[in-house]
Amino acid sequence: MAFLRRTRREEATLVGSDCTPLGQLHARVRAKVSGQVVRMRARPARGLPSLEVVLDDGTGRAVAVWSGRRSIGGITLGRHLLLEGVAVDSESGLTFLNPAYELLSSGH
Amino acid sequence: MRIVIAGAGSVGRYMAGQLSKAGHDVTIVDNDPDALGRDEAQLWKRVLGDACEVDVLSRAGCATAEVVAAVTGDDEDNLVISLLAKQEFGAPRVVARVNNPNNEWMYNEMWGVDVSVSTPHLLTALVEEAVNVGSFVRILSFEHGRAQLAEVTLASSSPAVGRPIGEIGLPRESVVVAVVRDGHVVHPSDDLRLRDADEVLVLVVGESEAQVKSILVGATEVE
Repeated sequence: MAFLRRTRREEATLVGSDCTPLGQLHARVRAKVSGQVVRMRARPARGLPSLEVVLDDGTGRAVAVWSGRRSIGGITLGRHLLLEGVAVDSESGLTFLNPAYELLSSGH
Repeated sequence: MRIVIAGAGSVGRYMAGQLSKAGHDVTIVDNDPDALGRDEAQLWKRVLGDACEVDVLSRAGCATAEVVAAVTGDDEDNLVISLLAKQEFGAPRVVARVNNPNNEWMYNEMWGVDVSVSTPHLLTALVEEAVNVGSFVRILSFEHGRAQLAEVTLASSSPAVGRPIGEIGLPRESVVVAVVRDGHVVHPSDDLRLRDADEVLVLVVGESEAQVKSILVGATEVE
């Protein structure tokens, strides 16, 4: 348990130190963001599968799209994620295309 | 506008020339120093390297470019460049060239492509657009432009409608190659009477084009 707590604390430090709050995220700047999955849908783009996830960290929201798949193990509603990539301005808001992701412990 | 062009073939270089002349800030990327050119006026920036690599795209300024155009002669490369431009640099507009029309279905947002340009499809569209009733459309030229294969879809107002081919007075340097009527090719014998909506394919050599045009199209169209 001590180990787990330490892991969580490390995550908290990580998330707190170099993560950009979603409310201050800008397009075209490589950024690390974290937040909770508040919405997700499998959105076929021209018949090809893609997974769209909306992340919220309390300061704002961003969208992540992974192409070529309908689901990713571990990414579920309510899950906390850490994303890294470059966001693009799109109709649905700032969107990361195929960002690197990390699953954070759900109790975070 | 800042524009990065991947591929310094004839397409890429032409685009670079046109866009720089129009006042845009153009960078062209290619891994072939000869293709990039050495002696050309420094109208645009040149980056030597494989545009399928992130650091090369980075050196070319993809991070701040408004448009990235992937116009190499290789569809796989164009798709990889498009994906990287969108995924790694968030390029607002990614334009990609389709070489083989069979690959066109892959040029979509999944690969980061905003706009795809397929030359074969474009040509088809242009031909469809151009092949309007009553206009003279040059389809091919031979003999360094001395001979032309042209097509005219006859309008009802055409002076040739209702007359046999042998009597419409085509100049000697031109010959009707085929007549397409209701989707079928009809042999253009001298006594074939032309009808409204016939597609007449005519081979024209030398200076007789204007004359052929006035015979098949009529005097209405003046250029």
